[in-house]
Order: sequence, then C-alpha cells, then structure tokens
Amino acid sequence: MKVAGADRNRRLITAGAGTALAVAMGLALLAGFRLATQIRSSITALQAASELQTYPGVISQQLTALRERLETREYTGQAHAELTGTVQRFNDDIQLLTKRRGGQSPQLQAAVQSWQAYTPVLAPVIAFSGEPYIDTDSGSSLSESGKMYYDNVRQAQLLAKQNVGVLHRLLTAVSGSLETQTSGAAARLRALLSGGVLAALALAAAAAYLQLTRAKHERAAREAQDQTRDILKTVREGFFLLDADYKIGSVWSEALTHIFSRNDFAGLSFEKLLEDRVPAATLATAVKYIKLLWGDRAHENLMKSINPLGQLEIVMDNGRGGKETRYLQFDFHRVVGPKGGVKHVLCSVGDITSNVLLAKELQEAQENANAQVDMMVGMLHVDPLQLGSFLDTTETGLQLINAILKEPARTDGEFRKKLGGLFRELHSIKGEASALNLMSIAHRVHQLEDMVSELKKRAEISGNDFLPMVLKLDDLLAHLRGVREMATRLSALKDPSPAADGGAARKGAQPGKAAGLARGRTGEDISPTLQALAEKLAKDHHKTFKLTLAGLADVPAPYVATVKDCVIQMLRNSAVHGIESSEARRALAKADVGAVRVDFHRSGDGYELVFEDDGAGISPQALKEAAVRKNFISAEEAASMDTRAAMALIFRPGFSTQEEVTMDAGRGVGMDVVARTVYGLGGKIGVSTNPGRFTRFKIVLPAAEAASSAVA
Amino acid sequence: MGLAQGNGAGSRRSLKLLIVDDSNIMRRRIERSQQFEELQVVGTASNGVEALEMFRKTDPDMVTMDLTMPQMDGIECISKIVHLKPAVRILVISALADKATAVEAMECGANGFLNKPFTDRQLNEAIAELMS
Repeated sequence: MKVAGADRNRRLITAGAGTALAVAMGLALLAGFRLATQIRSSITALQAASELQTYPGVISQQLTALRERLETREYTGQAHAELTGTVQRFNDDIQLLTKRRGGQSPQLQAAVQSWQAYTPVLAPVIAFSGEPYIDTDSGSSLSESGKMYYDNVRQAQLLAKQNVGVLHRLLTAVSGSLETQTSGAAARLRALLSGGVLAALALAAAAAYLQLTRAKHERAAREAQDQTRDILKTVREGFFLLDADYKIGSVWSEALTHIFSRNDFAGLSFEKLLEDRVPAATLATAVKYIKLLWGDRAHENLMKSINPLGQLEIVMDNGRGGKETRYLQFDFHRVVGPKGGVKHVLCSVGDITSNVLLAKELQEAQENANAQVDMMVGMLHVDPLQLGSFLDTTETGLQLINAILKEPARTDGEFRKKLGGLFRELHSIKGEASALNLMSIAHRVHQLEDMVSELKKRAEISGNDFLPMVLKLDDLLAHLRGVREMATRLSALKDPSPAADGGAARKGAQPGKAAGLARGRTGEDISPTLQALAEKLAKDHHKTFKLTLAGLADVPAPYVATVKDCVIQMLRNSAVHGIESSEARRALAKADVGAVRVDFHRSGDGYELVFEDDGAGISPQALKEAAVRKNFISAEEAASMDTRAAMALIFRPGFSTQEEVTMDAGRGVGMDVVARTVYGLGGKIGVSTNPGRFTRFKIVLPAAEAASSAVA
Repeated sequence: MGLAQGNGAGSRRSLKLLIVDDSNIMRRRIERSQQFEELQVVGTASNGVEALEMFRKTDPDMVTMDLTMPQMDGIECISKIVHLKPAVRILVISALADKATAVEAMECGANGFLNKPFTDRQLNEAIAELMS
C-alpha cells in the first residue's frame, strides 16, 4: 500500500514537471517567433534606412547635374526624370519607415521634419514641365519658364547642399538605432533559443527518467505477478477472494482446481460452489455466515469461532464414476480496503480428509480400549458361574435371532412378525446383560434393538433393511467371543487349579472348589452350560452325539460345582475317547449320532449321578499297555492285573491314554481329580464298561448336610 | 424505550447490562463473574417475554442472552430487541454448540457468542470484545 502511494506521488511530480517544461518550451517558442518577426521587420527598416541615407546625396548631385545642364543648355529631360524618380522613392520610403517606426525614433521624426522643410523647395522643380529653351539664331537661350525653372533648381540645389549633411546625419542615426535594436533582439532571441534548448533537454531527460522508472516498475510488477502466480500454483490450500456479491474473483490457487475438480471459478458464486455437495441446511448456514462476514457486527475472532465450515463433509465424484466423501476445512479472512470496510473475503480451503479419518480411527481405538476395560471391570464383578450361564443363553438367543433373520419373509406382515420376534429376544438379552452390569454387551444389543425399533416405524420394509442387522449381529458375536476369552483369562487368574485349564465355555462356568460350593447354594441350573459345552466338544473333535440330561435341576446347592466339574470331565473324556467318529460308528452298525446320558437322582439317604456314553468303551488291555508305557506299572504287574484293577488305573493321577495333548484331554488330569473330589465328599466312584458298546460312571454322594460339614 | 428516562440507571456507570437466562445459577454466575467497572446490571430475566419487558423498562446497552428458554426462545427475543434498539450489543451465552445456531443468532442481530460451560476469563474476554 505504502509503495503504491509513493509511486503515485512520484508519478504526479514527474507529470507536473513535464507539463511545466512543455509549457515553458511553448512560451519560449512563441516569444522566439515574435522576436524573429520583430527582427525581420527591423532588418527591413534597417535596409530602408540605409537606402534612405544615400538619397539626400543623390538628390543633391542630381540637382547639381540639372543646374549644370540648364547652364550649358543641354537636354534636361533625362536629368529631370531621374530627380523626380529619386524624390518620389525617397518620399515613399520615408513615409513607409515613418509608418513603421515613426513613433519609436526621435531621429526619424527629426529627419522627416527636415525633409518636409525641403519638399516645398523641390516641389516647383519636380512640377516643371515643358521646354526650358528657346532656339534663336545665336543659339539656345532660356525661355521665360526655363528661367524660373533654373532659379528653382538653383534654390533647391543650394538648400540641398545645406540640407544634405543634416538629413544624412539624421538618417544615419536612425539606421544606427535600428541596428542596435536589431542586435538586441537577436541577442534576446539567442538567449531564448538557448533557454528553449535547455528546456527541451530537461523535458527529454524527464521523459527518459519517466520511461526508465516506468520500465523499472513494470519489471517489478511483472516479477511480483510471477511470484504471485508461483505461490498460487504451489500452495496446497485452495485460495480465492469473494467479492461483495459472494462471487469468486478472477485469481485462485491451483489447489482449488484439484479440490473441486473444476476450473471455472471466476464469477462463480460461493453457493454454487457447494451446491449439490453439502446438505441444504449446511449450505444455508454457510451462506448466512458469509453474509455476516461483510458486516461489522462481529470480530474476526468470533467469526472464526463460529465458522460452520471448519470441517465440512462433502460428497465428490471420485473420478471413476463413483462418489466419495471428503472433509474440507474452510477459513475466512476479511480483507479491509484502504478506507476501511470489507473489500473482499479471502477464503482458504484445505482437504483435511486424512486428518479427520485419522482422528476418527484414534477415537474408535480409544473407545474400543475403553470398552475393553469397561467390559473387564464389569466381568470382574460377575460371578463366573453366572457369566458362563449368561454367555451360553446369550449365544443361544443370538442363534435364535439368526434363525429369525434367516426365516423367509415376503409380505409386510411377515417382516413385522420377524421384527417382533427379534425385538423380544434382543430385549431379554439386553435385560440380562444389564442385570449383570455387562454394559459393553448391553450397549451393543441396545443398538440392535434401536435398529429394530427404527425399522418398525417405517411404512415399508424390505428384506434389504435387515442386512445392517446381520452385520451388527456378527459384531455382537465377535464381542461375545472376546468376552469368553476374557473370562477364561480372568478365571485362570482367579483360580489357578489344574482342572481350570481348557475350553472357554466351561472355564467361565467353573468355579474354584470351595468357592464354587459356597456359591452353588444359589441352586444354579447347570444344564445350559453343559449342553453348550457338549456342542462345542462335538464340534472341536468332529464327533456327533446328543447329550441327555436328567434331574440336574435337583442337584442340591453344595453339590452343584462338584457335579458340574465331574460331568464336564467325563463329557470331555467321552468326546475325546468314548464316542467314535460317525464313519467308525456306521462301520460298527451303531447309530450315527452318539448318545451321552447324565442322570442325577436321589438314592437312599444320598444321591447318585450316572454318566453313560454309547462309545468305544474302555479296553483294560489298552489301559495296562498305556500304564506300562508311562512306567506307572511294570509289565509283570500289568500281567497280574485283573480287569477291575486295570480299570482303576484311570483314577490314578497323571494317567492318560491320549498321546497328544489337546485342550480337552491328554494332560492326565481329570478323572483323578474327579475321584479325589468325590472321595473328599465322602462319596464313591465306580466305572463299568463294555468295549465297543458303552462306558458308565456311577458316582454316589452322601446327603448334602454331610457334604457341607465334610468340606467345612 | 422512552420509559427508561429518569429511572436513575447509568447515573455513575456508563453501560447498562441485562442478563437473560432461564437458570438462576447462571444469571448469578454471569453477574458476579463480569469484572467491568463500567457495567451495571440493570435487570435479569428468565425467559424471552420477561426479557422484552425488562428491556423496555431499563433500556440496557448490552444484553447477555440464553437461547433455550421457555415461552420465547433467545433467537426470537434477539430479533425483537434489535428491532427496539438497533445499537444494542447482544452476547449469546448458550449450551447449543452447533455452528448453525451461532450463525443464526448472529444473523438475527447478536454480536457475540459464548458457549456454556465457560470460564470467567472467557466470559470477560467475550464481554470486552463486545464493548470494543
């Protein structure tokens, strides 16, 4: 701004000086012209004066010549004519000179006066006409008129003799003064010309200076322009100016072209720029905001803080015929004019998509981490038994939901029936999760529930509307797996007993021995847990069998944990060792689906638990061989063992026939722990088997009161 | 506006302030937190209708305005106040954080916008900006 002002001043000064010089030169030229005219007339006058100088002498000579001719009676016509001509010319010339210079020269006036005195004498001479001589025999003599003519000539000649000196002197003086005048004028003209030349030189210099500075400024302006262009080409933000009509100016940065995939910005209104790319409400707010920028009601800081386009979600063509969402950041700065008031609004636009996405990812990660911690904290407060049971029922519930989702439906009524079923199931799961304070699960189920509610409100429902729910359901199942996993780890931390390792399902449901008994007084139904475990085992070991449970709801509270532990261990054994693969069963002409039966009932004073599978049974020979192989017994001892003793081997600590360690068998812990627990409770355990047909465990437990006191 | 004459307001201090908020606690908070010698609180109001009545009575130079209020909301109240006295300075103090609300308030004639919750410093800065 300052630079421009100084520049303007310099230009004004240069232009003023140029004009003054030009005017001076013009005036000099005009004065010179006048002087030159004056000099020319002076020179003419000088010439006339010089000529006049000679006339008195000539007249005097001519008068003398005329007189002599009259005296010698010679022919006078010629001389008379010459005199008349001379007098006439002198008269004319002096009149002319007087007319031009009469008022200026006293000498001239004196000369004129002198001449005027001379003229009456000359007049009769000039006026004479006729013959001055009379021819007689004695020769020629003067006639009467000739005598008068002679007298007049003599008189004039005498006066001329007197007068010639005076007149000559006067005319010489006139000539001298004219000469002085002319040379003065010439000197002035010279001076004037010198001045004019100087002025012309100065004007030329000024013009050259002006041209030079203009060229310099033009160069600077060009450079500035180039720099501006380079900046606009290189800068990563989109820059443009908005005028008072909210239209984009003629200059913008190249980044804008990339951001908006167009290049016809000049004159484009801001509204048009965003139209079809942002929701109508956002656009309306943006336009209002830009109008506010032109007012002076709000400060720049405030305007910045309420900028509604700080993070603008925008839908763009992705260049491959599709659409993509991008995030743009608009900043607005008022450009204030020199007299105050907003002249333009400078807009900058940046593509902050990657930043926004990163921030979202971070936020999600943070939320996930928080959810995990919440989940863990929630689980720490839940009874493992309850948790296991909850997870089992939830999983069943979700399977039911899945089944509902898969049900074929075409009519609106069918869809709505589906929604009703989904809502009931979800609601009950949410209720249980909330009761157990498992908020991470409750929250997810709640979201699903919301989706169902939202869908219920719709006028029309199609099969596609259920798709998002399927995705959400997957998410929930994954989360449940996470919870199970977490439960396993927590349980391992809380209960490091050897029996505690293994699959997640029973982990969550497997309490520590004493604690389990104590908690068992709640009379928990362990059937769902066992069924879930059976399914898992079958799947894990590629076996097919059906678990039938009877009387487990009647297990007295102090025995729940023990019964559960025992059944779990025996179920594992059945799944790994007992039940054959479907192919093997078919080969043995057995039913494809194996059968595992658990029966708990009162027996005498106490209780009896019978566990039976229709699997391969236990071969005493195989037991003996395994025992020998593991150096439990010597070959001799084995040979001397009867079937009953051989069968007892399975209750020995660390014994296993399985070579490979899996999650469910092969570690050699299991039946020994079961046996010891049973003995600890004052009970008995027995096994009977028929190789190829079945294995049956029978556990006898005393009355519950006895068990309590035994543990205590 | 003519009613304001002769009620003694602004005798010593130069700027009259009206506080409008439906929360009593917030009204007191604003009144106590502002640290400007030249501001004199001439009235408080808990809804738009009351605010307009108070405005007519006290002819304040500055108003702090809540947006979500019963009876008449802040936006409507701002429009009416600005219509009564275009030179009034209005600071919106609201918990509504979305920019569209702020823009709308400004469009109706507000001069400043402060989000709840705010610190004393933020409040005083916002008032200072309004007075400048």
